[in-house]
Amino acid sequence: MMISMLVRWVAKATSRNKKLVVLAGAACLLAASPVFADSESGFSLNGFGTVGLARTTTDDVEFVRDISQPRGVSKDWSPRIDSVLGLQAAWRVTPQFEAVVQATSRYRFDKTFTPEISWAYLKYNPIPNLSLRAGRLGTEFFMMADSRWVGYSFLTVRPPGDYFWYLPFYSIHGADAAITVPFGESVFRAKAFYGHSRGSIPLADEQWDISGSPMVGGYLDYQYGAWQVRASYANIHFKRDLPIAPVLKKALGISLSSQDAAFLATQDTRTHYYSLGLVYDRGPWQAQLMLNHIDQGSNALESSDGGYALVGYRINQVTPYLGYSWVLSKSRGNAPSAIAAYVMQDSRSDQQTTFAGVRWDVVRNIALKAQWDGIRGDASSLFPYRQDNRARWDGRMDVYSLTMDFLF
Amino acid sequence: MPFRRLILLGSIFWLLLQPAAEVRAELVVVVNARSGVAAMTRNEVINIFFGRNRQFFNGLEAQPVDLADSHPDRRRFYSMLVGKDLSDINAYWSRQVFSGRMQPPPKVNSTEEVLKWLVSHPGGIGFVDLSKADARVRVVYELTP
Repeated sequence: MMISMLVRWVAKATSRNKKLVVLAGAACLLAASPVFADSESGFSLNGFGTVGLARTTTDDVEFVRDISQPRGVSKDWSPRIDSVLGLQAAWRVTPQFEAVVQATSRYRFDKTFTPEISWAYLKYNPIPNLSLRAGRLGTEFFMMADSRWVGYSFLTVRPPGDYFWYLPFYSIHGADAAITVPFGESVFRAKAFYGHSRGSIPLADEQWDISGSPMVGGYLDYQYGAWQVRASYANIHFKRDLPIAPVLKKALGISLSSQDAAFLATQDTRTHYYSLGLVYDRGPWQAQLMLNHIDQGSNALESSDGGYALVGYRINQVTPYLGYSWVLSKSRGNAPSAIAAYVMQDSRSDQQTTFAGVRWDVVRNIALKAQWDGIRGDASSLFPYRQDNRARWDGRMDVYSLTMDFLF
Repeated sequence: MPFRRLILLGSIFWLLLQPAAEVRAELVVVVNARSGVAAMTRNEVINIFFGRNRQFFNGLEAQPVDLADSHPDRRRFYSMLVGKDLSDINAYWSRQVFSGRMQPPPKVNSTEEVLKWLVSHPGGIGFVDLSKADARVRVVYELTP
């Protein structure tokens, strides 16, 4: 009850003032921390959040955290892309059964911070090393994809963009199963999920409804001491077309021909996501190497390869880090018309980013971070951005970010 | 001679800098004496305390118990086990909790409560000072810096 009341309160407050609610809510809840955790009754209430500010060095495009965001940041400091507030209630009904509800408020496809129930599921552990979940679930398309908004849990200000921009999917209505098999000192883990996607992806002022699109995927994971390796695969079968026609009409006053519309269809196409991750985590060192390949089924979207390398070293409460990420998409070169070619250029990405920053664990449950991203790409690299001015954009910019991540 | 006195002073200073024997007391990982677990390796201990593996080799469910942050043994335990600061451990568990994978082990406030937990849970596993490990529990791993 407490949760629904809180969620309703946040929802009400949000409709009044969409931007300040994150800050205000965070402050209130921080003051009351720790909210509630009682191991005896098996009920726990936990929260996380980030107050962030970011700016870039150009007004030619807007920088977003991922393509679920309709607008981004440019030369002015803005809290839009990184600020978030999340709250989770978990109830361990019996040792085998657990019910979890998680709500988050962040800048989303409809340009509001409207809170959403991001997860709501029942979990059943018939044996300790087998976990079955059903309901509204997070998807692990890539390693760590299901904790992308929990800034406190990772080193950088936000997950490296060149790797994660393409992943606007957050949850499914479905089920997953994960099994752990210890082998000597190492541990194998396998997970599979199936479900129907939720939500919408913004495209200019329109939205691409991806709800009801079936998703299936899984991974194999191996951990030995400080090392972890994971290979994962997932695909989504889109049920609807991108809203290309209304966007073209509004932006350029051009009508999309039926031939072009058919050529650029996304309905009944399938996109495949492959990834490989390697993590080392021991003592003061943290290092990650991730690679992905995205195979787009629709002519409207270019297939791509991306990756990142990240290394951090802790010195007392301060952890400086350095990373490099890249993404390169493959042009199809088969546009049947100039208009189709124009649309296809919009899914182009070709850039590399060097990023460096520092995480400072100030007190328990609070981390401050500052980061610089130097994005060096081709002028054709448009896919990750919003509000692009194609004539002026040269593919290069710097991004400065400051965040405070907290748990409560 | 001033030189010899300097050496003497230096030696005393060096001895003073050495942590006292009590402070350096050994931490050990202990289990319920009837769990059937006799010894574990460092990696097996890591797997259990980080929730990667929830069962002992004999199939028994592992029921780890942790100490509250305010207890000095907690900092020492994770520092010796994986070389990590408590905020790293905190970050790790926030990822597990908010991704919906799992909840962290319950925390108690004292070594005596750890021992009580171990006695009342067949798969109980915790860490205590070697001097506190009594007949109710079995030492399965000794932490060395």
